[in-house]
Amino acid sequence: MVATGKATGVDGQLFKRSLLGSLNWLAANHEEVNRLNVFPVPDGDTGTNMLLTLQSAVEDVKESNAAEVSKIAKLASHGSLMGARGNSGVILSQIFRGFARAVEGKSSLTPAELAAAFEEAANAAYRAVNKPTEGTILTVAREAGRAAATAASSPDATVPRVIAAAAAGARSAVLKTPSQLQILRDAGVVDAGGFGLQLILEGMLKTVEESEPALAALNETRRPLSPASQVSLALPEGGWGYCTEFLIEGNNLDTDLIRGQIESLGNSVLVVGEPELVKVHVHTDDPTSVINLAGGYGKLLKLSVGDMSTQHRRILETEGGADTRPPRPNGAGIVAVVAGRGLVDIFRSLGVDAIIEGGQTMNPSTQDMLTAIESVPYDEVILLPNNGNVIAAAKQVVGLTKKKLHVIETHSVPQGVSAVVSFRPDRSGEENVRAMKAEAERVQTIEVTHAVRDTRSNGVRVKKGDVIGLINDRLEIAGDDYSEVVNKALGKLGPDSYELVTVYRGEQASDDELKRLESAIRSSYPGLEVEVQHGGQQHYPFILSVE
Amino acid sequence: MKRSFAVVTDSTSDLPGEWSEKYGIEIVPLKVLFGKETFRDGVDMTSDEFFTRLAASSSLPTTSAPSPGEFADVYRRLAKDHDGCISIHIGGRLSATAEAARVGAEAVKGFKVNVIDSQSVSMPIAFLCRVAAECASLEEATAAVERRVPKCRVLALLDTLRYLEMGGRLSRAQAMIGTMLDVKPLLLVAENAEIKPVERVRTRSRAILRMVEFFRSEQPIEHVAVMHAQAPDEAGEIAAQLRRELPDFEIPVGQIGCVLGTHTGPKALGLVYLKK
Repeated sequence: MVATGKATGVDGQLFKRSLLGSLNWLAANHEEVNRLNVFPVPDGDTGTNMLLTLQSAVEDVKESNAAEVSKIAKLASHGSLMGARGNSGVILSQIFRGFARAVEGKSSLTPAELAAAFEEAANAAYRAVNKPTEGTILTVAREAGRAAATAASSPDATVPRVIAAAAAGARSAVLKTPSQLQILRDAGVVDAGGFGLQLILEGMLKTVEESEPALAALNETRRPLSPASQVSLALPEGGWGYCTEFLIEGNNLDTDLIRGQIESLGNSVLVVGEPELVKVHVHTDDPTSVINLAGGYGKLLKLSVGDMSTQHRRILETEGGADTRPPRPNGAGIVAVVAGRGLVDIFRSLGVDAIIEGGQTMNPSTQDMLTAIESVPYDEVILLPNNGNVIAAAKQVVGLTKKKLHVIETHSVPQGVSAVVSFRPDRSGEENVRAMKAEAERVQTIEVTHAVRDTRSNGVRVKKGDVIGLINDRLEIAGDDYSEVVNKALGKLGPDSYELVTVYRGEQASDDELKRLESAIRSSYPGLEVEVQHGGQQHYPFILSVE
Repeated sequence: MKRSFAVVTDSTSDLPGEWSEKYGIEIVPLKVLFGKETFRDGVDMTSDEFFTRLAASSSLPTTSAPSPGEFADVYRRLAKDHDGCISIHIGGRLSATAEAARVGAEAVKGFKVNVIDSQSVSMPIAFLCRVAAECASLEEATAAVERRVPKCRVLALLDTLRYLEMGGRLSRAQAMIGTMLDVKPLLLVAENAEIKPVERVRTRSRAILRMVEFFRSEQPIEHVAVMHAQAPDEAGEIAAQLRRELPDFEIPVGQIGCVLGTHTGPKALGLVYLKK
């Protein structure tokens, strides 16, 4: 067994330590990845999603003493798939999957085999994506693989050299992403997901380069490289006590403050979320103190305390009426991904059986969705992601459940509402899917938010802080206030073809802003009926459905 | 009059006035109550007057069935020049009218009254009355009507569920309508006067489209009419469209009466028909 970083081959334990190194390096820098979000809407959670996905992979391998690299790779593949969040998380899980396939049956990898596995990992990622786009994590994975292969063909190739070449290949590919993708060029950033993958490879490199025992090296790397780091991860060698996880629901929750206090009670502390809902994950010997502390900030949800060998993930809710409803004649259930209290209530009142809380910035994992689907008392389930960033992870669930699962690719809340409204319990699952898809496509979505940076997209010049309007996920309008942007968006859609506008008011919109918006629509478009609902969503002061 | 038996219905049949005269069909009115004021449906108050009053009224009206005594009076009068009667009424699940008719009939000795629970509401009952009126004998009429009772359908689009809910006829849960969003229910009154949700839609034009599509899937039919509550233009458009598709049908358009209007509210639309 190779015990140190001066490896001649990659065995199971070295690969495991490499993953720990990747996790630490990504944890230290994931905020920077988040800040690279390309689109001027605040869904900058690429780094968090990749981190959570990688963490899930590490959770699965950390207990294993397997000497074979194939075993560790398989565990990482499984763990990353179960924890995959967001598009880049899902792609990352496919990278692990390809790597695991390539090393199947191998106990240790030669430099050439390692390079081949990197290449196969990139191929698997390409295959997993419907329409691969260059200038993204996919390109970076491919270039890393190519660079690794070139390094491996040299007569004095070593594992550290192959990994170093992969990391360097990734770095130069990341720098080229703006030349490949207009949207990055306009925003003046590199691709976030690609940069995340670069960090993962660099983390591996740091592990194999160290002649010190791996864990010491890790502690080295996590020191203040990035003071903005949102996540602190310590990875002791065992004796982690209780894995404690929950959500805090409250007002103006300060993740930094909460993290600081929880860090004194345990390690592997992960505190992420929004002012309204914060997810806490900690390994502690004293869960009671953690719970008491967190209970002071708000209502605790989905509390789970358990020993480290079992999986602890966010439990999904099925509360609220699902059990009291009579079973449906068609035997089909509906599961939806929704964020915002008002929207959760709306979906529930329309008959959705289980709701996974999440959306724009809290992308639920594949596991979250799987759990919700399994909790529904039907063998056939229709899943509504309701957000473009959730669709990829949602589609992964199809291969993980024995249930007959239909994913209707709803990109927005209005699409999800339209789909659910058209559901009929007397119609078969398949007929419903057809009808729901058609209804979802019929509705038009306008999302109103603020630009988080100066950018140009789709020919629209935007300054940081501007109100921007997205029509069906495309940035179409920028302006100074909500009413102006909404009225312009409605004008673009052609109000004569529609009769009803439903306004879902977000958490940030004030009563006054709502009133002004309503009267602006009514006076500009007297032919449209206007309905206002409290959505309670974050990030979008207003979401409008036009039908 | 050549026919030896009488045909009786109630005001929820929405029987057109000219049919009443032409076929000699007797209409017993239900009542609508605004506070302490009582109006006989279609007698003291037209449906236009009703909807005007409904719009101005702060509280919702209530409705009541005719009393057995009122039915007995009608049967007694008819007994003078008929040797029997078929009395066709709104579904017993929705109203006590048919039951009142039965009790009233028993009070009139020596006059045979066949009370029929139509298990339906609105113009399907009027179609049943016309079928009966065209029969030669009471036995023939009773058989012809009973055969058609399970074929009666009312496909109703309500602008709001509020009125039906207030009247206790259907809950939002039964209609699968959530409590949050304004969702328009398309309802079907089928056999046993059961109100079943057919579809949920968010806009009126979609709802009308779905209503017509559902109707198309119900072919073949024997009779069809378009009913409305203060929505004559939309009803007229639906009828015109259906006449193009079904050139052999007359497809009358009518406004629902005060008592039904109390439960549907304004802007309701209905496609009512008898399946073959």
